[in-house]
Amino acid sequence: MNSEIWLGLLAGAAFGFVIQRVGATSAGKMARAHLMLEGDIPRFMLMAVVLSAIGLFGLQLAGVDNTRLLPTSLVATGVAGILFGIGWGICGYCPGTTWAAAGEGRLDAVFALLGGLAGTAVFAHFHETLIPLLYGPTNIGQISLGGWLGSRLAGLVLLVGLFGCCIWLIGRLWGRKHGA
Amino acid sequence: MASEKERSGYWSWLPAAFALAGIIVFIFATFGPPASSSGFVSTLKGALQPLAPEYIAAKEHYTMMPAQGSWLFAFVLGMAIGGFIAGRTSQLPVEDVPQIWQQRFGSSRWKRFAATFAGGFMLLFASRLAGGCTLGLFISGSTQLAVSGLYFGVVIFAFAMLTARLVYKASAGGQR
Repeated sequence: MNSEIWLGLLAGAAFGFVIQRVGATSAGKMARAHLMLEGDIPRFMLMAVVLSAIGLFGLQLAGVDNTRLLPTSLVATGVAGILFGIGWGICGYCPGTTWAAAGEGRLDAVFALLGGLAGTAVFAHFHETLIPLLYGPTNIGQISLGGWLGSRLAGLVLLVGLFGCCIWLIGRLWGRKHGA
Repeated sequence: MASEKERSGYWSWLPAAFALAGIIVFIFATFGPPASSSGFVSTLKGALQPLAPEYIAAKEHYTMMPAQGSWLFAFVLGMAIGGFIAGRTSQLPVEDVPQIWQQRFGSSRWKRFAATFAGGFMLLFASRLAGGCTLGLFISGSTQLAVSGLYFGVVIFAFAMLTARLVYKASAGGQR
């Protein structure tokens, strides 16, 4: 096996371990997060982005730049976001957590994973129709905050500020009715 | 807040975020932007290739993605291994049907499995349309300051919160 596979396995195992420990593989906790009963998982996610963005900025300063920006398609990204949000709200899993939760032994996650494979197969079958129809026409390119503001550092500061506000707000607004 | 979390057995969100960010930065250093919905494509490609090689070769969604011998597949497999190890070494409850779901829909396992199958279908259909999921588009994208990731993040959180309200019939704030 080549090193790419070992690196992927190692990173995946560490990732799966951490998200299980924080409770992100628990569909019940995820539902409680969506219902604004518990703010820990969303704050964990947003804080992880803030810290990763700072770390990635450091990597880029050090000359390591393995970035790949996905383009923004107003229609495709938006429609996909709506569908994704509904699916996330229904099952309490996202694609990554289904693998970790299935490994943890949650049978409903195994079914989410199987459903995910079916959804992937169906999309792949219609890729040639759907991408030109939904993605192409409103694709406004690989835009980023850094590009908008003219500097990566300014983009990073804006992101940290925005996410910091969200983390603070979640701390204030979530869990006020901590019933159960 | 922290003591409450310790009693529940879960890690506190802040140190856990440092741990996850360390892993994400490691992935950026050794591979590139982390992704997990792509792992579904790799899994499927690897499974279907021996059965229908012409079909796989003709479909762009499969040709643009590597099969099993790839970081993407190793990562999702690793996630299952990590989840397994974490589950075996902790006292955290593992349920096939979450409690909050049982309170709303009863304890029928097959009703829950049908719902997560349908939800999983939507998650991956949507992820493949957008080009990524919570990790591959929202977390990876936002880490790279990409507008696509931020836009996707706002929409998925808003619709997941709305859907959860409808599914669990909770009014603002919720009763449980």
